[in-house]
Amino acid sequence: MSIALFVARRLGRGLVTILFAVTVTFLLLRLLPGDPALAVASPNTTDEAREALLVQYGLDRPLIVQYVLYLGQLLQGDLGTSFTQSVPVVDVLLERLPWTLLLTVTSLVLTVVIGIPLGVLAAAHEHRFLDRFVQVVGVTGQSLFVPSIGIVLLLVFGLALGWFPIGGATGDNVYGAAWYGSVVAHLVLPAVSLTLIQLGSYVLTMRGTLIDALAADHVTLARANGLPYRRILWKHALRNALLPATTLIGLQLGFVVGGAVLTETVFAYPGIGRGIYEAVTQLDFPVLQGAFLLLAVTVVVVNMLTDIAYGFLDPRVKAS
Amino acid sequence: MTAPLPTPELTQDAVDPAPDRSGTRPGRATWRAFRKLPLGVASLVVLALLVVVTVAAPLLAPYPASFGPDVLRPPGAAYPFGTDSLGRDVMSQIVWGTQQSVLVAVAASAIAIVAGTLVAVLGAYVPRVDAVVSMVVDLTLSLPVLPLMILVAALAGPSTTTIILVVAAFSWPEVTRLVRSQALSVVKLPYVDAARLMTRRHAWIIGRHIVPAVTPVIVVSVVVTASRAVLSAAGLAFLGLGDPTTWSWGRILYEAQTSGAMGSAWWLTLFPSLAILLLVLSATLVSISYDDARKPRGHGR
Amino acid sequence: MRLRRAGAIVGAVAVVIALGACAPQAPPGASTDPEADGGTLRIATTTDVVNFNPLIGNSRSDSWVTGLMYPRLLSVGDDGSKQPELATGWGYVDETTGWYEIRDDMTWSDGRPLTADDVAWTMNAVKRDAPSGTFTGQLTNFESAEAVSGTRVEIALTQPDSSVVEEIGFWGTIVPRHVFEPEGSVADFANAGGDDGWVGAGPFVLTQVQVGQSYTLERHEDYPLVEGGRAEAARVVYRVYPDINTEILALRSGEVDLIANSLPPAQVDRLADTDGVEVAEVTGLGYSHMTYNMDQPDLARTEVRQALAHAVDYDAIREVVLQGQAVSTLSSPLMPVLTDYHDDSGTEYEHDPDLAGELMESAGYVRGADGRFPVSFRMIYPLQDPVTSQWAQLVQDGAAEAGITLDLQGTERNTYLAQTQQGDYDIYAGNFAIMDDPMTNFALSYLPGGAINYTHVDDPELSALIERAARTFDEEAKIALMQEAAALVQEEVYDNVMYTQNLYLAHSSEWTGFVSKPSELLSLVNPVSIASAHRVPEQS
Repeated sequence: MSIALFVARRLGRGLVTILFAVTVTFLLLRLLPGDPALAVASPNTTDEAREALLVQYGLDRPLIVQYVLYLGQLLQGDLGTSFTQSVPVVDVLLERLPWTLLLTVTSLVLTVVIGIPLGVLAAAHEHRFLDRFVQVVGVTGQSLFVPSIGIVLLLVFGLALGWFPIGGATGDNVYGAAWYGSVVAHLVLPAVSLTLIQLGSYVLTMRGTLIDALAADHVTLARANGLPYRRILWKHALRNALLPATTLIGLQLGFVVGGAVLTETVFAYPGIGRGIYEAVTQLDFPVLQGAFLLLAVTVVVVNMLTDIAYGFLDPRVKAS
Repeated sequence: MTAPLPTPELTQDAVDPAPDRSGTRPGRATWRAFRKLPLGVASLVVLALLVVVTVAAPLLAPYPASFGPDVLRPPGAAYPFGTDSLGRDVMSQIVWGTQQSVLVAVAASAIAIVAGTLVAVLGAYVPRVDAVVSMVVDLTLSLPVLPLMILVAALAGPSTTTIILVVAAFSWPEVTRLVRSQALSVVKLPYVDAARLMTRRHAWIIGRHIVPAVTPVIVVSVVVTASRAVLSAAGLAFLGLGDPTTWSWGRILYEAQTSGAMGSAWWLTLFPSLAILLLVLSATLVSISYDDARKPRGHGR
Repeated sequence: MRLRRAGAIVGAVAVVIALGACAPQAPPGASTDPEADGGTLRIATTTDVVNFNPLIGNSRSDSWVTGLMYPRLLSVGDDGSKQPELATGWGYVDETTGWYEIRDDMTWSDGRPLTADDVAWTMNAVKRDAPSGTFTGQLTNFESAEAVSGTRVEIALTQPDSSVVEEIGFWGTIVPRHVFEPEGSVADFANAGGDDGWVGAGPFVLTQVQVGQSYTLERHEDYPLVEGGRAEAARVVYRVYPDINTEILALRSGEVDLIANSLPPAQVDRLADTDGVEVAEVTGLGYSHMTYNMDQPDLARTEVRQALAHAVDYDAIREVVLQGQAVSTLSSPLMPVLTDYHDDSGTEYEHDPDLAGELMESAGYVRGADGRFPVSFRMIYPLQDPVTSQWAQLVQDGAAEAGITLDLQGTERNTYLAQTQQGDYDIYAGNFAIMDDPMTNFALSYLPGGAINYTHVDDPELSALIERAARTFDEEAKIALMQEAAALVQEEVYDNVMYTQNLYLAHSSEWTGFVSKPSELLSLVNPVSIASAHRVPEQS
């Protein structure tokens, strides 16, 4: 298919996914037991204010009408108003989004950078000790509980050794070049924590894909022709394995974002994840809803971009 | 939370037809192969131990009291796992938490497996349903699940039932995805077409041929889904969305965090974390070993 | 290939440029290196600062920050009595007129002097616009204020009220008229700084806000309330952490110097023993209590309330949940800390499950086969308050021992507040942070229709006592009346006051000079304290 069609199809899928997320959120609030007004009015608003909000959000109208109103609001960027802070949810979340993006992107990059060599190592020594070792490490990594890792890192490297700061994304009152240094210092522990939990499954997948690629016919042919193993590994097998691995990043993103919620809570990192934690304790539903939608959109967008990039890179897609 | 499961290469295997007269033979062979894998056996033992703790909880430790005289004691003779900031025995909390965690994991994964398998098999059997199914599964899998779980749990109020339903609701798509690929390949096999000629009772075809064929996949996903359920439930409890009337491992961490004791009482972090790691790791290893044992060595290359 | 390479390089450069724009630049006119001139005091808090208008009801963090900028007329001493701050003297001209004399040496941070005009204008504006909050609540009997000179304000009352001058003096924060008046209604003014920043008369003024992370205040060079005429520290930064646990870690690692919220009881001894950390005691001015909703038919009976009161193990609660840091008030709302009012001769409800059972039986209730009485009461408590959550459990256990069934319903804050307002509970468990003036508190708690009358009591004898006290200007007579009222409250169990709690705050050993004042609102973070705090000088 042509590039244009491919991109269009991916965009379409992305939009459908976003619509799905929006619909799920909409239905949840109105179908779960409890007062649907909870979604827009905190329990201690006055009765008149409540009535006004109910009318404004159309909660007294039929479901379809509400849905349309809801979509309209979203398109205008209105995610509601936070109960606790009385400011638009969009403002609250957009302030925090850059930090979550920084954290997740950094950890994804780290995962790839560390994961690929480890996967290669395991595949190259298949069934031998190194492979078993990497496999065990990978499986253990998959089984880690995020807060546990975070707390241990915080206590050891933050408190006991004092190498890294305890909370926040930057120090206060730092400017210019020093600001970057501060950001990095505050980023290390949360990013490492988030990387550790993804690394396991990424390495295992990388290993698996690479083993398959190594068993492929054209590789056997290359070996029969006497090409050095190293070269085969890196040039042929890795190329093929790399592409699915790239899409895996996109798939991982949904889960990474969830891990970020827990990581940000442990490390007091001021991203959307921590915003969710704070909103949970206050039962600030507009923020919770908005956070989910924003994260869903982010995940979908990144997935789309990754897939489109994959489409450009993979000759098979272009050719077909 | 846990990572998306790397898809095992199931479609390359020879698909088992409905069990023949000596129907246990494939099962027996798998078990024999399994016994030879040390990691797998060890993990199975650990799992069994945890199940024993779950069942025998009342015999092992008294239900944690509302408070106790010795506050924040490190592990020692009187309290093997120490006490928390209200003087409650951490070991009792862990033991009873095992019951809660295992219960939630089993219940949530049972629901997810049943629902997921049904949907997958139905979808494989009826192509039109399949289109809808695969779309819904893809859509759900591409969303960030934990924030959605948080939203639902916050809306519905924290209780064990909520947690089980929430975790199950977001685990079934993964099960469907795994089972579906296997089910699809089975449905295309000639003997299924033959069966369709023989009888119009679709339920019989599904029950007799398709379900047994996907059973190995189900076994794998049971264990994995259950261990993921443990992580999700613990994550929700850690954020304060767990059931406040029962003890769970996540709750121990949550109380340690909110009472300010986490920085000084290392035992409050260590033991629940170890418990979670133990359960999840052993479950994962068992499922991997089972998978290895099922595929005879040297196959598929 | 070349195209892709070029594309990658362009992309990378674009990213770097975008990032480069991210770093904040130092604000113009920032103070010279603060370290050389007093240092930076970093304070940890758990809630974000969202509201900068002190006239509107505020959360703790909001009050701590605005408290450093906007002065109060009166402060409070360790025995609950009012002390001068902005005001140097106060009193009554006659039964319906009060007065304040204020200092003549206070200036706002933009150079304008703080005069009686600001004081009078603030009070009138709050009365006129009624922003929701404690300040408005104190103005019920207030009619108007007038600046009769540059330093004297007189207030007119609608009826005689012997406590209102002190109450308005304490709860009224004074704002600059020239900043607030142009903004229209003070109930809607967000005071978010705008282009010109903030104007305050306290020891520090807010200069920078990093939402969710830190709030920076710079020293105001003219603060006559401390020795030296200005604060010791050059800068104060409030840093936001999500929970006490992270705050404690930050304190121990040296990232913050003071934790503004009080420590959980179990951490007090632990931190006191930690190197580099000091723990300071702060007098509590509030109490924790349970009230029994008399709209519920069973609870309308005195014997039932008494039974419930005797079913609680007060000692266990104070010892275990509060680690011995709580003090019995002898079940009276007149706490020991209020030395003038406290009545030593009273006794606490005795923990006696058998007596509780007998009381229930004498009221006509019969135990069932399981030993339980055929009643059950729903008790609400705030889930986010760990201490109350814990003793709620203990209360439930104690009641069960006496055969009474309690249904615990812990809810999050907003729902809890709503339920409280609507009277949607059988038993209310909670606490008040500041109960500084007995008469005002009794009026609000025990008069029918009072804002915090959670028992829904309407006892003519009690109401008469309170109203008389309100009109009595003779201290001794007033005290006698209040004690009589308190005894009645205790006898009829219109309020079950369980304990008053002293608070503990942790700070780094590198800082000293804090001045402790009662209640979590002031504690070590009151303006005089923060202005007096300084680094411990190096031993040479």
